[in-house]
Amino acid sequence: MASIRFDNVTKRFVDEKNGGMFTAVHGASFEIKDQEFVVFVGPSGCGKTTSLRMIAGLERQTDGDILIDGRVVNTVHPKDRDIAMVFQDYALYPHMSISDNLSFGLKNMGRPASEIKEKVDYAANVLGLSHLLDRKPKEMSGGQRQRVAVGRAIVRNPKVFLFDEPLSNLDAKLRVQMRIELAQLHKRLGATIVYVTHDQVEAMTLGQRIVVMNQGHIQQIASPRELYRNPANMFVAGFIGSPPMNFFDAVLEGNKLRVGDMLLEIPADRVADYQGYNGKDIILGLRPEDIHDIDFAYNIPTHNQARVQVEVVEHLGAENLVYFRVGERMITAKVAGESSITTGDTPTFVFNMDKMHLFDKTTEQRI
Amino acid sequence: MDKWKQFFRDYGWCYLFIAVPVILFLVFTLYPVLAALVMSFQKYHVLNPKWIGFDNYRMMFQDEVFWKAMWNTFVFTVGTVPLNLFITLGLAILIFPRSTRTQTFFKAAFYLPTVMSGVTLALVWFWIYDPTESGLLNMFLGLFGIENVMWLGKSNSSLFSIMFMTYFINHGAGIILYLAALGGIPKSLYEAADIDHASEWSKFKNITWPLLKPTTLYLLVTSIILSFQVFMSIYLMTQGGPNFATTTIAYLIYEHAFVYYKFGLAAAESFVLGFIIILASIAQFKFMSSDVEY
Ligand SMILES: Nc1ncnc2c1ncn2[C@@H]1O[C@H](COP(=O)(O)OP(=O)(O)OP(=O)(O)O)[C@@H](O)[C@H]1O
Ligand SMILES: [Mg+2]
Repeated sequence: MASIRFDNVTKRFVDEKNGGMFTAVHGASFEIKDQEFVVFVGPSGCGKTTSLRMIAGLERQTDGDILIDGRVVNTVHPKDRDIAMVFQDYALYPHMSISDNLSFGLKNMGRPASEIKEKVDYAANVLGLSHLLDRKPKEMSGGQRQRVAVGRAIVRNPKVFLFDEPLSNLDAKLRVQMRIELAQLHKRLGATIVYVTHDQVEAMTLGQRIVVMNQGHIQQIASPRELYRNPANMFVAGFIGSPPMNFFDAVLEGNKLRVGDMLLEIPADRVADYQGYNGKDIILGLRPEDIHDIDFAYNIPTHNQARVQVEVVEHLGAENLVYFRVGERMITAKVAGESSITTGDTPTFVFNMDKMHLFDKTTEQRI
Repeated sequence: MDKWKQFFRDYGWCYLFIAVPVILFLVFTLYPVLAALVMSFQKYHVLNPKWIGFDNYRMMFQDEVFWKAMWNTFVFTVGTVPLNLFITLGLAILIFPRSTRTQTFFKAAFYLPTVMSGVTLALVWFWIYDPTESGLLNMFLGLFGIENVMWLGKSNSSLFSIMFMTYFINHGAGIILYLAALGGIPKSLYEAADIDHASEWSKFKNITWPLLKPTTLYLLVTSIILSFQVFMSIYLMTQGGPNFATTTIAYLIYEHAFVYYKFGLAAAESFVLGFIIILASIAQFKFMSSDVEY
């Protein structure tokens, strides 16, 4: 099978409006291991699709090298890279039946009819499309089309699968179902998969490793767990997790953080790490799930407490989101569904500082 | 009663606007067609038409020139329509990948001449086909030692000369339609095909051509209809000669009506031509129709 490597890959486009150049990907370097499921995630326009298309060979990088299986493929045509791609809009051939859509690649490769039939039947079977083989794409639902697009990739049995936001057109329920199917598919095929999405839930659930991108720069490459626990900077911290991490303006005072009129204590074992910032402005990051209603604060240190004025409460069933303000910033706390806090209350919250993240105010990097 | 009043108050204007084209159609299309149908069964005279049943049709089918004209029309259509469609598509495919600016230039370059009067065109080609060595074509062939040809004056070359002329003109509208259709094919289909190991030919055959089918069908039907009715170039350049070598149905109808004043016969011929056109169009829709939608 196959590994993929980017060595300092940069992609610039001619910017037609301003006449200059626009850099979509800045010096990206990473390695995707054989049989790994890697997800590219980031906000719209951050260069995910561009990166994927460079792997596919549909877009030629401006600078740097791309290697598949150790071989430099910079000038290799897409068809010679042994990849398959599932496009965001599926790109099914509208005038061909599903079976023709599935077999088009193999026919182009001049494979014998018996082999083509066998592979198409296998893929159709795996994806539950067997009864639809004579239909045209327009006679199918979004989920079925998506499966055809995946099937078209499977029949070729390529080294690398590339997915560009394949689930973005589906409704929430189907998306969950397809997500599970994709994860199973990865296990069954044992192929290298590169998957692009802007949905962090998809990224967290599918990826063995996640590449977080922003404005053409890779922010962090890590496992979902690592991204959640140790985000490299404020962008990753704010992007991964839902609702996103809260940020507080803070000043470090010895072993304490002054946040507005609150004084929060830093865990003793970490105080030494931050002494270079003593007396300086820094950013405290704390996830909504680490701010607790005091009545439900079990198994956590409770000495960092504060009373706040609740502005809004959202009920999500199993949990409630409580919004309040610290200084200028709106803060979210995720509390148990049984919590009785309502709008206008002044409850006491426990801030679990064992889970805190501190960031440099200017570089926005974690410290 | 109230309901009608209400109806007219709400929709009266619409009907007024619709009425204009409907009346124009009735007066200038439907009435003449019906009048011609009646005429085709008459020995027509403005003041004193005489009913003669199927005599006009009988006369027509016994007329050798009619069959010759049918054949000429058929040859002209078969010899021009497919090749011209092919040329149009080829030009569109060559123009399509260029930058927007270059595309605009070529669109204009091919389209503008189509608004030129047919008379002007015919005169230019008349000069190109001039039988002496001052004709452009003869002058050019003379460079290779080929003797002067009477392009339009000899029965074995005149119809071909008229056909040859069409290969160079009137591609503009088709090019614009094809370019629009090419632009409507999602780029990602070609990218998917690239990844699917498709060669350039496979991409054309399996993606471009099938997805252009609706446009091709439209152009085929309209250009076959036009070619069945080919008249102006023949009227201006050869008057159907020599020895009926370029007499087409449309030209024959003209001649019977306005040279020999046999309006009844001309009307009968018109109906046969119309009937053939309808049959041909139905056949094309049957064979070519596709359900492409995207
Ligand atoms: N062909 C192109 N020409 C010029 N600019 C381009 C081109 N393709 C992409 N870009 C620009 O490059 C940047 C990255 O685009 P890309 O499609 O990779 O974003 P993305 O991360 O996939 O976003 P999305 O989530 O919206 O799909 C965007 O700002 C986009 O405008
Ligand atoms: Mg994208």
